[in-house]
Amino acid sequence: MSAWSSSLRARFKTFEFMVGSVLVGGIVLLVLASYFLYPDGGETIDLGKRLLKPFVDASHIFGTDSLGRDILARLVVGGRISLLVGSLSVAGAVVIGTLMGLVSGYYRGFWDALVMRFADIQLALPFILMAITFLAIIGGGLVNTIVLLVVSQWVQYARLVRGSVLTLREREFILSARAIGVRTRGILFVHLLPNLTGPLIVLMTLNVANNILLESSLTFLGLGVDPTIPSWGGMLADGRTYLQNAWWTSVFPGLALLLTVLGLNLLGDWLRDSLDPTSGASK
Amino acid sequence: MLALKKPLVPIMALALLGIFAAGPAAAQGTLVVSSPQDPGSWDPIDTFLVNWASVATNIYDGLTYRGPDGKLGPGLATKWDVLDNGTRVRFYLRKGVVFQDGEPFNAAAVKFTFDRLLGPEGAKGPQFSNYNAIESVKVIDDFTVDFKLKKPDPVLLVKLGGYGAMIVPPRYIQEKGEDWFNTHPVGTGPFKFVSYEPKIGIKLEAFDKFWGGRPKLDKLEYRFITEPATAVAELQAGRVDLVIPPTIPIGMISTINSSPNLKVVSVPGLTVLALRFNTAHGITQDLRVRKAIIMAVDRDAIIKTILGGQAIPIASFQGPLSFGFDPSMKPVPYDPKQAKALLAEAGVKPGAQIQIDIRNNDETFLEVNQAIASYLKQVGINATIKPYETNYMLNDIIPNGKTGEMFQQAWGGWTLDFDNTAYLMYHSGEKWNPYEKDPKLDALLESQRSITDVAKREQILQEIARYSADHAYEMLLYNLNSIYAINTRVKNFVAPPDSRLRLTDVSVE
Repeated sequence: MSAWSSSLRARFKTFEFMVGSVLVGGIVLLVLASYFLYPDGGETIDLGKRLLKPFVDASHIFGTDSLGRDILARLVVGGRISLLVGSLSVAGAVVIGTLMGLVSGYYRGFWDALVMRFADIQLALPFILMAITFLAIIGGGLVNTIVLLVVSQWVQYARLVRGSVLTLREREFILSARAIGVRTRGILFVHLLPNLTGPLIVLMTLNVANNILLESSLTFLGLGVDPTIPSWGGMLADGRTYLQNAWWTSVFPGLALLLTVLGLNLLGDWLRDSLDPTSGASK
Repeated sequence: MLALKKPLVPIMALALLGIFAAGPAAAQGTLVVSSPQDPGSWDPIDTFLVNWASVATNIYDGLTYRGPDGKLGPGLATKWDVLDNGTRVRFYLRKGVVFQDGEPFNAAAVKFTFDRLLGPEGAKGPQFSNYNAIESVKVIDDFTVDFKLKKPDPVLLVKLGGYGAMIVPPRYIQEKGEDWFNTHPVGTGPFKFVSYEPKIGIKLEAFDKFWGGRPKLDKLEYRFITEPATAVAELQAGRVDLVIPPTIPIGMISTINSSPNLKVVSVPGLTVLALRFNTAHGITQDLRVRKAIIMAVDRDAIIKTILGGQAIPIASFQGPLSFGFDPSMKPVPYDPKQAKALLAEAGVKPGAQIQIDIRNNDETFLEVNQAIASYLKQVGINATIKPYETNYMLNDIIPNGKTGEMFQQAWGGWTLDFDNTAYLMYHSGEKWNPYEKDPKLDALLESQRSITDVAKREQILQEIARYSADHAYEMLLYNLNSIYAINTRVKNFVAPPDSRLRLTDVSVE
């Protein structure tokens, strides 16, 4: 790789980090501030002020929706759902997936076969099919959506962890730990797990973005969170019928989603390059 | 990043359709109709869907006919006499009528139709119970038949004008079989079947030997378009001439009306909507709480704004077209102060939770419910909205009594008679009444079923309406208009209240 292109690449990496962290940091701050900014949760309706245009009324900068609710307030409050679902579902999937991966990678044999065949079966199911069946049977809602995402995604972590454990378990530091009598639990959590954090963190960051989109898709389809709670997917769905005469009802939540996911993906990309010694960019 | 497109795809598709909405005009003499649902079978005894009737009203005739004005008149029977205290009806049949496959229409065809409907073939379908007051059909001569009834049925003549009572061709069904008939319908109506593609559409053409004279259109095509935005885009593009209910979202009316060659035709409809109460569990067991919840919601404001005036308030679970409607009944007025007082009296603390169950396929109704939740919050009740897949809600959640404190009920009432609604909603043990058991109401409902004295029956039906309003079984919302969107090149279209269209006199430019 020539010096010119690698310096350009390094500059791009810095740019990725800057934009990513400003976007994600800004959105997280705004969403946290929403508890003070909009104590009504963006739910106050005003049937006399339906579908106000954006940038006209100072108290409704982004306009109002079909029930006269402030779009900006709902955007900021709606971010709570996105961030909550994104982070909790990934946290759940990481915990379950990592445990499963550690156990099946380290013990091999029966447990490995059981967990991995189960994972194979689950990977063969299309997500939307699974989501519709699952949510149609147990019903939508915030908690169920998170559970669905955890159930559908722990497999990725399990496979990632298992793969790494398979190579690590034969390495000298593990063998020596076993030789001096470290208990299995110690080996798994003290010696193996710290060696997996890099790839796990990268996968988590990218998955948060992906799960935010999945939650919005599900809510858009009427399967996800309760429609009384402001959420970006719900706002997109509400705005759909008004697209031709009130574009702002769906464009702003669409933009919010775009910026959040873009920010998270940039950060994830940067993290992967910085944490992965085999990728050329961090050198 | 590929996944990013997911929630945006429908929107981008919409935007594209909007941009390319330049119109290739449809062929001369052809009318294209967008209908939201494929009924799956065209056999009259297999269906209970109004969107079956939107097509089939053009293929089949009944002994009686009810036009868009709601008045009952002659169909394949030119006149009839009600005999023996309402237990026998004699029909005199129209002469010179042929089926679209060429076989003649006569008394034998009528007998065949009803023997089939009331026999084992009909018992498999949902139409059977509508007509089981009929004991037998007797052929008197080629053009006279007698219907013998087990008991008088005041709504029978109306029911003979639709759905299961459509007259079917005996020879054709016997030769081709039941399965063939499901997808290749033949009747005596103005249009004859050409082709049917499941989930895509059905094509019909003018039947030259129609007894009422050849229709003005040459061809009639229906396309099944479930997504409202797509149906409207196709209308704007000129690939569809008429979009029938229930499709057009209220929010799109102004967009459609702003196109010079399109217009919205809105007529008083038959659909009534309510949020019914769970009277067996939760805070809504208490009559005072139910009344308070009703008073807390400004239904008039919702009709004027969200529904753009495309509905009228109701005081019982029926519209003004329904027999049993009492114009002197008034909706419960909006009164949040009184609502708060009632809630306090009932011991309901601010912050009490209730759940509203709705179907997940109606955007306008979702908006209405968000407004309702917001009104309820102002009197201290936190309502969550739970959308269910429609079939799941209709076949499990409601009949098995698994609803939240309130649940959506939309009702068509095609017979224009409150009995059809009230009996199924309020009589104990009925599918739509999982919670209430009231012997007094049961007795009222049963008493009107075999009365042929019209005035007496109307009085009892009105009493039922008042009784149910006094007990606040539901928050009555509105009677929704039937909203059609139409290209102005379509002439002579008279919008029926329930999308049972008969397009004999319609023409296109």
